[in-house]
Amino acid sequence: MSAVALNVKDLSVWFETQSGRLQIVDNISFSIKAGEATGLVGESGCGKTMTAFAILGLSPASGGTVESAGIEIGGTDISTLSAVQRRRILGRDIAMVFQQPGTALDPVFTIGQQISAVHRRHAGGGRNNTRQAMLDALEQVGFGQPGKIAAAYPHELSGGMRQLAMIAMATVCKPAVLIADEPSTALDSGTQALVLQQIKRLQADHGTAILLISHDLSVIRQSCENVMVMYCGRLLEKADCQGLFSLARHPYSAGLISCIPQISALKPSGINAIPGQVPTPSALPPGCHFAPRCDRAVTRCAQSVPGFGAGSDRGSDRDVACFRPL
Amino acid sequence: MTRTTWQRLKADRYGMSGLLIVLFFTVVALSVWIGLLGQGWSEVSGNSWESISATHWFGTNLLGQDILQRTLFGAATAFEIGLIVTGFSILLGTVLGALAGWYSHSWLDEIILWLKGVLDSIPFYLFAAAVAFALQGNRWAMHLAMIITFWTTTARIVRGEVMRIKQREFIEAARAIGLPGITVVFRHVLPNTVHILLVQATIVFVVAIKTEVILSFLGLGIRDGVSWGLMLAESSQEVVAGQFGNFTAASVSLFIMLMGFNLFTDALQDALDTRRIMP
Repeated sequence: MSAVALNVKDLSVWFETQSGRLQIVDNISFSIKAGEATGLVGESGCGKTMTAFAILGLSPASGGTVESAGIEIGGTDISTLSAVQRRRILGRDIAMVFQQPGTALDPVFTIGQQISAVHRRHAGGGRNNTRQAMLDALEQVGFGQPGKIAAAYPHELSGGMRQLAMIAMATVCKPAVLIADEPSTALDSGTQALVLQQIKRLQADHGTAILLISHDLSVIRQSCENVMVMYCGRLLEKADCQGLFSLARHPYSAGLISCIPQISALKPSGINAIPGQVPTPSALPPGCHFAPRCDRAVTRCAQSVPGFGAGSDRGSDRDVACFRPL
Repeated sequence: MTRTTWQRLKADRYGMSGLLIVLFFTVVALSVWIGLLGQGWSEVSGNSWESISATHWFGTNLLGQDILQRTLFGAATAFEIGLIVTGFSILLGTVLGALAGWYSHSWLDEIILWLKGVLDSIPFYLFAAAVAFALQGNRWAMHLAMIITFWTTTARIVRGEVMRIKQREFIEAARAIGLPGITVVFRHVLPNTVHILLVQATIVFVVAIKTEVILSFLGLGIRDGVSWGLMLAESSQEVVAGQFGNFTAASVSLFIMLMGFNLFTDALQDALDTRRIMP
């Protein structure tokens, strides 16, 4: 249970535009062990989804550039593989669940046909074998009558059922790594819990490593062991979940946590929004990107970029990219 | 066709009447091809311009040929032209349109668009005449001219649709499970254009039959056999003489057949559409 399933080294994504280079993902590194779930949290547009696509090696539609020092899945570096070799790994060793279950399924094929297609492509082994694997996958995500769901078209299912079917599709080949990009964001809270519960089960049953992308800290708190905080394409803090929620060391993480509405608060004090706005990728401040909005910022923060361990003189038990951590 | 598709189609009364008309003409065309009907289209079986009678249901033409026989044979001719032209031009247009749309703004797209632009800028009847001349009166010259020019509309529609569909998330999902680009096109993009292709096929079918009328009138059309177009060409002299036999038989048959096709494909499109909720 301790083998590293996904290891991402120095991953960057940028776009060349007329006004210069837009850095969407800036040199991030992390690893996830088998059977562990890691949350990636950040505001909309901070590069979370782009990170996921870059890991899969899918170039963004608008043609950005992806660079990394290695993306290892179970010890194999997939960033150096040829397109043909990489396609053999996509869907089999690493799979992705998309944010919008309604549009991530092809409307003209039944759920069963789509799940079977994944299995046939990567596992093969005859029609009966594939059908059985497809039904098993549907049953494992909690469908009582998998045969009925398999015969249904995507529009005949509700949003939550589609997302569960999507998870069944992503896991029919029992991948070592599952990237879930906002899997529960478009769902109501009851269905949300169900979807997260199924992702947790996969993690426990198959030892799948999970990268759960979300902007919702409470979702990550419910379902992840570790959490990474992302801001403007950079990782600001990597911590175990409990540690982060009991004591966030990066001011931005602390800000995010204080934004979670507290039902137990005695006095309704309102939500503590972080002052200022997220800078656009074309106008990132130099130094620490969060410095202009940070109440602990000093001159140094606006001049040089803090790496992990920048504030270690103040005592640190985890990776925090801040000169003056809390 | 799944059972539900058939059930939905069956519930559509206009669609079913369209289907009956299409089936009727299909049976007529098949009977002509296997030699059961319309074999006497060229023999002189009566006097000039006989009116409707028990021996000549639709009367006779100037030469004394039976108009009913010629109408039945014309149905087979129309079917032959419609099927051949529609089949090949839709196939060509779909493949080229899909390639252009999937690799949009690449050199391949440029070439296909350039070809389309060139073909679209040549006046069609001039082009048909040129093809007929170049092929030395080959009987397939008309079909070829239509196939070469009709694919461009299909290609333009398919290209646009593919460019729209390839932005959608399920295409990204298909690539995320490791499908190569070209497989994604044929497995996930084109199946999502079927409802458009179906409508386009009807339009091409109808246009092909109508074009045959004009080309036959100009002497560029059918060489052996008779078509509704040739009958209308004959009638252009007869109508001024007060004889409406050819004109009525050909134009009414044309109208009923095209109407039947329109009603049927319209209903089929609704019945096949598993994605009513799709934007």
